[in-house]
Amino acid sequence: MALDKDIYRAFEDVVGPDNISDDPAILDSYSYRWGPQTETFGQRFAAITLPKDTAEVQAIVRLCNKYGIQFKASSTGWGSMSNPGGPEVIKMDLRRMDRIIEINEKNMYAVVEPYVISVQLQAELMKRGLNCNIIGAGGNCSAHPYAAHYGGGHMGESTSLRERNILAVEWVTPEGEIVKLGSLGSLGEWFCGDGPGPSLRGITVGHAAPCGGIGVFTKAATKIYHWAGPPIFPIEGVSPQYAPSEIPPNFFYRYYSFPSAKEMVEAQRRIGESEIAFEVMGFNIAMLASNMGTSNDEDYAYFEQFRKLIQGPGFQVILMGNSPQDFEYKKQVLEQIIRETKGESLKPVEDPKIAGALIWRSIRITASIRECFRAGGAFSAALGGTHPYGEEVAYMEAVSKLKKDLIKKGILRDDDGYYLTWPHEHGHLGHAEILIQFRQTPESIDAIMGFSEAAMKMAIDNRYGVPHSLSGMAPDMHDMFGPHASNYNVWQRRLKQAFDPNEVSDSSGYIKGKQQQGVS
Amino acid sequence: MALEDYRKDMELCAKCSICKFIPLEKMKGVQPANVCPSISKYNFNAYSGGGRVNIGMAMLDNRLEYTDKLLHIIYNCQMCGACDVSCKYAMDMEVLEPIYEFRIKAVEEGHTNPALDKVINSLRKQGTMVPGAKAKRGEWAKGLGLKDFTRQKTKVVYHVGCLTSYDKDMWKTARATVNLLNKAGVDFGIGGENESCCGGRAYQMGYETDFIRQAQNNMALFKQCGVETIVTACADCYHAFKVLYDKFGLKGNLEVLHITEYLDRLIKEGRLKPRKKVAMKVTYHDPCHLGRLGEPYIHWEGKEIPGFQRRFDPPKELMRGTYGIYEPPRDVLRSIPGLKLVEMDRIKEYAWCCGAGGGVNESNPEFSLWTADERIAEAESTGAEALVTACPWCEKNFNQAIKECGSSLKVYDVVELLEKAI
Ligand SMILES: Cc1cc2nc3c(=O)[nH]c(=O)nc-3n(C[C@H](O)[C@H](O)[C@H](O)COP(=O)(O)OP(=O)(O)OC[C@H]3O[C@@H](n4cnc5c(N)ncnc54)[C@H](O)[C@@H]3O)c2cc1C
Repeated sequence: MALDKDIYRAFEDVVGPDNISDDPAILDSYSYRWGPQTETFGQRFAAITLPKDTAEVQAIVRLCNKYGIQFKASSTGWGSMSNPGGPEVIKMDLRRMDRIIEINEKNMYAVVEPYVISVQLQAELMKRGLNCNIIGAGGNCSAHPYAAHYGGGHMGESTSLRERNILAVEWVTPEGEIVKLGSLGSLGEWFCGDGPGPSLRGITVGHAAPCGGIGVFTKAATKIYHWAGPPIFPIEGVSPQYAPSEIPPNFFYRYYSFPSAKEMVEAQRRIGESEIAFEVMGFNIAMLASNMGTSNDEDYAYFEQFRKLIQGPGFQVILMGNSPQDFEYKKQVLEQIIRETKGESLKPVEDPKIAGALIWRSIRITASIRECFRAGGAFSAALGGTHPYGEEVAYMEAVSKLKKDLIKKGILRDDDGYYLTWPHEHGHLGHAEILIQFRQTPESIDAIMGFSEAAMKMAIDNRYGVPHSLSGMAPDMHDMFGPHASNYNVWQRRLKQAFDPNEVSDSSGYIKGKQQQGVS
Repeated sequence: MALEDYRKDMELCAKCSICKFIPLEKMKGVQPANVCPSISKYNFNAYSGGGRVNIGMAMLDNRLEYTDKLLHIIYNCQMCGACDVSCKYAMDMEVLEPIYEFRIKAVEEGHTNPALDKVINSLRKQGTMVPGAKAKRGEWAKGLGLKDFTRQKTKVVYHVGCLTSYDKDMWKTARATVNLLNKAGVDFGIGGENESCCGGRAYQMGYETDFIRQAQNNMALFKQCGVETIVTACADCYHAFKVLYDKFGLKGNLEVLHITEYLDRLIKEGRLKPRKKVAMKVTYHDPCHLGRLGEPYIHWEGKEIPGFQRRFDPPKELMRGTYGIYEPPRDVLRSIPGLKLVEMDRIKEYAWCCGAGGGVNESNPEFSLWTADERIAEAESTGAEALVTACPWCEKNFNQAIKECGSSLKVYDVVELLEKAI
C-alpha cells in the first residue's frame, strides 16, 4: 500500500532520496518469491529503505512508531521470513551496513554489521589463522549471527551454532532505543554477551530466531575459532570448474555410508566424543551429487553412480590436523571408529582432486544453492530442532516415511528418501533436516503443505522437541508448540508485548503480541 | 527469442544474492567482494542480476508500467555478464539473456533512452556508434599504404571498430596493430570507409533490429569479398562477430580472432619475436566481452525432460564464462622481456567491468566513470604502474577516469606494449 506523501517524505529525510523507493519495480524485486507458493509474487512492501548506519535505523524505527507503520529489517534477504506480513510494512534493506568493525584475534571474536557475508568474514579470518561458523545455507548469507534462521552449518562440529556464538550486541529495540547488550553495555567491549552489563541474550534470541520480529540488530560480535589451514585456499580453474591444486597438508576428506542409521549415529557419537573432526556433515548422496555436479546433468550422473555404491545413510568428515602428529592421530582414531561401526568409504570421492574440491566447498559452504535450488528452483524442508543427537535422527527416520510416500506418488524428486543430520560441538547437540525437491504445481504445493503439517504434528505427538521449522513461519505455530514445551509461547508473547507495545516490528516470522483467535 | 522465452529460467531465481558477488570460492578477504557495478552503485535489489530477472517476471505478469525508475534500472547496467557467471556457478539458468531481452522489449515498445537514441541515429546514418562521417572512417590509415579488402582479396581482414577509427587518441593502437601484422608478414586488408559498425554495442543498448541490419550488411560484404578471417582489437566487435553473429545464425564459417589471440599465435609460431626490454610492472584488465562473454556461442535445440530436475534432451550446455579468452592476452604480455605482470583480485571470469558497456558510457557517464574508478583503485593496489587492457572502450574510460581522479596510473593496450618490444 502506498505511503502517504508526507510520511514518505519523513522517511526520505532520514535516508536521502536515493535510498528510499516505493516504485513498483523496486518493490517487486523484493516481493518475488521462491519456494512452495501458488503465486510468484507475494505482498509488496510499502517502501524500501536503505539505512546506512544505526542512527538511520533508529530514526526509521521511531518514525514507524510515530506513524503506526511496521518495519522489517533484513540482511541479504534470502529467507522467506524477510517478506512483509502485511501491506503497511517498510523494508529496511541493511545492504549499506557492510563493515567488519573489529577482528579481535586475542579474545577470538569478530564484530560485524548485517551485510557482511560469511565468506567475507571467513576469508579475512583465515589470513589470521582463524575461522567462523557459517550457516548451512551458505557463505552468501550474513555473518551477523542474528540474521540466521537457527544458525547451524556444516562446520558445527567445531564452530557450534548461532545462539552459542553470539557475544555482545547493539540492538535498536522496536521502540527505537539503542541498547548495548553484554560487555558492550558496561565496558564498551564486545567480548561477552552475558555481562558484565545487561544480559538479554535469551530474550533477543532463543531457540526460535527473532526473524525481524523484535527490532533491528545493527552490530553483533560472534565467536571465532582456530584455523590450521592455509590463509588462502589454492583454488584453480575457471568457474564452475574450481578445484584446489592440492589438498592442504593435514587435511583429510571421506564420505562414509553405514548399514543403518543406528551405526551411523554411533559413528558420529564416537567421532564427537574423541573430538577429532573439524567437520561432520550428514549429507545424503543426493546432496553430495548436487554439491559435486556443476550442472543438473552431472548431478544426475553422480547420484545414479553413488546410489549403487552406498550401504545406507551416511555423512562426510573433514579432519584438520594442527601438526603431522595430531593429524595422524586423528586419522587413526577415525579409521578405527569407522571400522568398528561398519562404515564404508565412498570410493569415487577419495580422488584427491574431488576430495580437495569438496573440502573447500564444505568449509566455505558455496554449494547449498546447487543442492537446494538447481534441480527445479524450489525446495522445502522439515527441520528438527537442536536437541540430543539421537533424538534428532529418530525424528528424521520417522519423517522420512512421509517423504517416501510422496516420492511413491510421484510428487517429489526421488532421492531415496534420505535425510541429513549433523552434530554441533562434537555431538553435544545435533540437528537434522529432510530436504524435498519438487516442481511447483498446485497439487505439489498442497502435498508439501500437508507434509510439513504432518511432520510438525509428529514432532508434538512423539515428543521429538520443538523443530526449527517453525522459526520464521506463521506466528501461531508457537502457540501450537508452546503448551508442549514449558509454555514458552506465553513468555515469548509477554516479551514481545513489553518490547514492542505498538507492534511495529513485523512479527510475521516471530510471535504476535496478540494471540490469534482459535489457537490455544 | 523474447523475454517470455526465458520465463522458465527466471522462475528458477532463488534470490540467493550470489549474482552480486564474485564467486564465493575466490573471495580472499572482505574486499573486493562485489562483482556487479549496478547493484554496487544503486543498492536496491532491482539493480542486481537476480533483481532484474525478478522484475522481468513481474513485467511478464503485467504487474509493472514503464516508470522513470524502471527505465533507470533497465538502462543502468553495463551488460557485463558478471552476474550470469556468478549465478551459473550454482544454477542452470540464464541471467544475462533475459536482461538483454528486457531491454530489447523496452526499446521495441518505444521506451528508449534519449542519449542512446542519438547514438543509434548516428549508426543508422553513418554506420558508426561514435560521432564521425562515413567518409572519414579510414582516415587513421592515411599514408600507411594498406590494402582495401573490398578491392583486393586478402587472407585476413583487420576490423578496426568505431571508437578506434574516429577517436584520434586511439589511432596509436590501430597503427601499432598494423606494424605488428606487417612485421609478422601477414597478408591483411582493412575496410577503410567501407568498414561499418559491427552492431554489437547497439545490441547491448537494446536495439536488436539495428544490430541485425548491421550484421547482415557486414556478412554480405564479407561474403562478397571472400573474407575468411576477421581480426579485431576491440572486445565489443570481437564478441559481436564471434558470439552474437553466431547466435543469430549469421556467422557462417567466418573465423573471428581477437588481436591478442592472433598475436599470441604469431609469437608462438615464431613470426613475431619480442626482444626489446619493456621494464614495467603492469596489471591486466579482462574486458568483459573478450573474457567471460567471449566464449563460443553454443547452439542447442531439443526439449526438456519431464521430471524434477531441469534436464534436457540432448543435454544443454550453458555458457558459463569458462571458455572465455583469458590466457592469450596474458601470454602476449608474458612474452615481453622485462615486463612484470601482476594480477588484480578480480580477474578473468569475475573481473570487474570498466564501466563503458551497455550504453552506460553514453547514457550515464557518471556511473560509467564511478565503475572505472573502482577498477583503477584495484589496479593501483597491486603496485603496478600501468593498467593494460585489450579493448579501446576500456582504455578510453580508464583514461578519462584517471584524468578526473588524478591517478598516476598509465593505461595501455596489449598491442602497444608488444610493439615496444618488437
Ligand atoms: C537453501 C537454504 C538453506 C538454509 N540452510 C540453513 C541452515 O543450514 N542453517 C540456518 O540457520 N539457516 C538456514 N537457512 C535459513 C537462512 O538462515 C535464512 O535463509 C537466512 O535468510 C539467511 O540469510 P541472511 O543471513 O542474510 O538473513 P535474511 O534473509 O536477511 O534474514 C533472515 C531473517 O532475519 C531477519 N534479520 C536479518 N538481519 C537482521 C538484523 N540485522 N536485525 C533484525 N532482523 C534481521 C530478517 O527479517 C529475516 O526474518 C537456509 C535457507 C536456505 C534458502
